[in-house]
Amino acid sequence: MDDTVIEVRDLVAGYEGRVILKDIFFTVGKGETFVVLGGSGCGKSTLLKHIIGLHPLLAGEVRILGHRIQGGGPGEREAAMRSFGVTYQSGALFGNMTLLENVCLPLESFTDLPSDARRLIAEMKLELVGLKPFANYFPTDVSGGMKKRAAIARAMALDPQVLLLDEPSAGLDPVTSAELDRLILRLRDTHGISFVIVTHELASIYAVADRCIMLDAEARSIIAEGKPAELRDTSPLEKVRTFFSPGSRQS
Amino acid sequence: MPEVGKLKAGEVLVLDADTVKRYDGSAEALIIEVHRCASAQGFTLEYRDASSVIAKTLKIFNPAVFSDHTAYDLPPRNTHTAEQVGEAAVRIWRDIVDVLAFLGEVVTSGLSFLVRPGRLRLRDTMLCIERAGMDALPIVALIGFLIGLILAFLSGSSMRQFGVEVYVADLISIGLFREMGALITAILLAGRTGSAFAAELGTMKVNEEIDALTTLSLPPVLFLALPRVLAATFVMPFLSIFAIVTGLMGGFVVLWLMDIPAITYWQHVFDAITVNNVLIGLTKALTFGLLVGLSGCSHGLHAKRSADAVGQAATASVVGSLVLITIFDGIFSVLLFILDI
Repeated sequence: MDDTVIEVRDLVAGYEGRVILKDIFFTVGKGETFVVLGGSGCGKSTLLKHIIGLHPLLAGEVRILGHRIQGGGPGEREAAMRSFGVTYQSGALFGNMTLLENVCLPLESFTDLPSDARRLIAEMKLELVGLKPFANYFPTDVSGGMKKRAAIARAMALDPQVLLLDEPSAGLDPVTSAELDRLILRLRDTHGISFVIVTHELASIYAVADRCIMLDAEARSIIAEGKPAELRDTSPLEKVRTFFSPGSRQS
Repeated sequence: MPEVGKLKAGEVLVLDADTVKRYDGSAEALIIEVHRCASAQGFTLEYRDASSVIAKTLKIFNPAVFSDHTAYDLPPRNTHTAEQVGEAAVRIWRDIVDVLAFLGEVVTSGLSFLVRPGRLRLRDTMLCIERAGMDALPIVALIGFLIGLILAFLSGSSMRQFGVEVYVADLISIGLFREMGALITAILLAGRTGSAFAAELGTMKVNEEIDALTTLSLPPVLFLALPRVLAATFVMPFLSIFAIVTGLMGGFVVLWLMDIPAITYWQHVFDAITVNNVLIGLTKALTFGLLVGLSGCSHGLHAKRSADAVGQAATASVVGSLVLITIFDGIFSVLLFILDI
């Protein structure tokens, strides 16, 4: 059985005809934690938004669990959209709903479960991320790290096989960021979820990444692919080695 | 610096920084400017630099990098009045087309709501109705009352000269029911609720909440716009009637001051109310409410991702609403004239 959950082939990404990324090829396997990294402005979030179908692809193909996100019929896109969950840099929780209501929302919209069952499932998702005691809090009443965890719980509401996280550590202190990394690893190990994480936080990359690709603003493409430690030690490109060992920049 | 500007090729300028102990960005800028002048005018520059101020500055800043002024020139602004008017007209036209296109999206969403009513969030719709309707009652009452008062004063002072001030009641009644009630309420709704819709949705876009909805396969138009458009359309007739009633109260106060008996005033008011007048007012109210809801949501959902853009969306929604209300009010007037109603 093919273990590929995401397949990106010859992707060209950009806005209004302006190419930001080209020649993007990669696959993500089942249960893998795959990190997209690179410096600011290299197109990491742009790539993520094209993968999840928020922006039209300029060329190429993205398949999630075999379903094309664009280029297939509406049914295929719908199937692709239902197979993953996404969290955004800011958390993007709906401010007029409690954390519990935020997690319940996808269940209300796409299942015929009775309200008690929906509530129980949502509470269990919040428990997974350690937020059950805060179920009735509004997003404005919780910390940045809690918002990110609640966003993960909402993204997991429909039990997707893939979670895509955009800058999950952004704006978090190192301790909270490390807690989030442990949560990601735990969900991967217990639920077999595949993760695609966009980040440039080195500590997180070393902690969670099974494999990563590095994007470069100048090349407008992938300039390195592999395990973080391997890239740090053996990459032929100095900018890749420097990215992974910023302390050695002056040497 | 004016003297430096007069120096010519072959002349020498001595830059003396020997005694400089402390310096700041202005001194650095002076050194670079003198170098620029030297290279442009061809005079020779000599240094006295015991303090190393000039050497340090030139090590940090390369004068050649600052030689080109034109790179920083802003694109020329269009200040031609005729072109500005033309651009504004095109912008308004695009605005109208966008709102009508958005109406199509809302109608499509409305149809999917009919197929699966559970997809419309009733709680959000009720909340929007409360905010757009109940919460607006005090301001609608105040403005409605004052409009009635002003109408009565303006017309009463003229009619009194002919001794027919009692007909002010008819004028106010017909004016409020056919035109002013719906119009004033729509303007209030545009400023109060339409702008709030645009700002809310624009902020949700900045916070990536719209993206989150899209990736949850929840169409933002169905989930966010439809409840707001329905709420604005639903509350408008009620607010309009409320404005009319308070306007009639305002008129009553003026006529009472003019010694017109209350029974006479209210008799004339009720005599002037016809089914046609009421239906015309309610039709206008429904239409204006729909336009305000569409304009607010359309501008909010199409806002760009910055705080500045949210403000612009709120402003554009109010302007768009007012333009649309005026156009449709004109259409109503022409139609009613043709139909002789």
